[in-house]
Amino acid sequence: MTIWTKGMVVDFWFIVAIGIVTYVLITRARAGMKIPEIRKIAGLEALEESIGRATEMGRPVHATPGLGGISAPETFAFFNTLGYIAQLCAKYDCRLIQTNRNYLVHSVNEEIIKQAYLEAGRPDAYNPDDVRYLSGFQFGYTSALLGMFAREKPAANIMIGYFYAESLILAEAGAQIGAIQIAGTTSTAQLPFFVAACDYTLIGEEIYAASAYISKNPVLLGTVVGEDWFKILVFLTIIVGTVITNVIADPKKNPLTSWILK
Amino acid sequence: MRKELPLLVTILTGLFVIFGHDFAIGEKWQLINAMDKWQTISQAFALLIGAVNLTRIHVNHIRRRKAGYIFSLLLLVALWGYTALGVVEGYKGQNFRWLYNALLVQLDSTIFSLLAFYIATAAYRAFRIRTVEATLLLVSAAIVMLGRAPIGEAIWKGFPDWANWIMRFPNTAAMRAVLIGAYLGSFVTVLRILLGIERAHLGGVGGAGMK
Repeated sequence: MTIWTKGMVVDFWFIVAIGIVTYVLITRARAGMKIPEIRKIAGLEALEESIGRATEMGRPVHATPGLGGISAPETFAFFNTLGYIAQLCAKYDCRLIQTNRNYLVHSVNEEIIKQAYLEAGRPDAYNPDDVRYLSGFQFGYTSALLGMFAREKPAANIMIGYFYAESLILAEAGAQIGAIQIAGTTSTAQLPFFVAACDYTLIGEEIYAASAYISKNPVLLGTVVGEDWFKILVFLTIIVGTVITNVIADPKKNPLTSWILK
Repeated sequence: MRKELPLLVTILTGLFVIFGHDFAIGEKWQLINAMDKWQTISQAFALLIGAVNLTRIHVNHIRRRKAGYIFSLLLLVALWGYTALGVVEGYKGQNFRWLYNALLVQLDSTIFSLLAFYIATAAYRAFRIRTVEATLLLVSAAIVMLGRAPIGEAIWKGFPDWANWIMRFPNTAAMRAVLIGAYLGSFVTVLRILLGIERAHLGGVGGAGMK
């Protein structure tokens, strides 16, 4: 009997390898050794600007993780950004409205915001009524948000997470009230909508780099660099795979395919 | 302990999932199925948190007589009234199903239909020719739209083939590049959480503290 589940051998060793590379880079960062810089991400640079603009206009900031549940990695990318957004809002004394479609995500967001206000020295400014669970239904959530946009007119709309068909409805509604919009998702079907309707769009992996980018923490930056190294490895594998597939037409005889599916 | 215990639970859960997915014995013991059941049970408990939050906010609206408080009242009646109906009749109850199909499904479809109008305004914004990229977007979108609609084929038989080529090659290549990056990004994020470097989900700013 084999140790691994069929087709999972490469998956397991990939996890081990990326874990080792990340660990090495974290150790290097902790030892104060040089870590390559990551490129500028306009959407993340604009976070502070958008909150500053909302403060000047005396209007709130709205942030949502979309429809992703607690187990979606995109939701964790939102968690990593939310603390920073909440701390900036506390610092500038700007109202933050945070809406949710998932009650588990809602509980986590409530805790993140409360703690961020506390860390910013403004626990009094935290308003539990501004962290809202709206509806578990996709379009119930959307219509509640459209109503909120029309009534409270946030000056900044930050949407980072997993979105479905409601992405364009929300982004267009945000554009119509003149909000500066920063959106980010890994959903390739919704990305074009965000690009068309928002001021800044974080494309795919960029949402995961947020915490490292914002904090400039070398340990976190190390993990992003590790990810980039693996991206190069994956693209090299694609090139090698393309060459082998063109030489050996029969997939059963293709060594790369058999190794990956092992 | 407030941070350490959840972190320990996160790490153990992560290792449990890897074991359940990648190892034959994990598959034999159906660990992932068990995990899914636990998640369903914990979600059912957490549903109450959402309902309590909604109730608290809207009760406050009614108490303070905020503008539009009547809608808050309506929401509370719908939320708890429908819950009560479900408890009395069960989820297969005739009235319970009727309310769902006659109201909720219709309202859902209405909001979804707004998308058609928003696509038009977003397309106008995206297709304004300002840069070389916007021009490329306009030309390729026009070819794909004509290739997908019967009128395109009536104008020129080559449109469907061109549209298919754009969708199959440049579009798929770009989408896959985004997806590969996203998968790696999500994997590294998970690793950061498992190693306890990223702790934002435990409250506060986590790794992203302000400079």
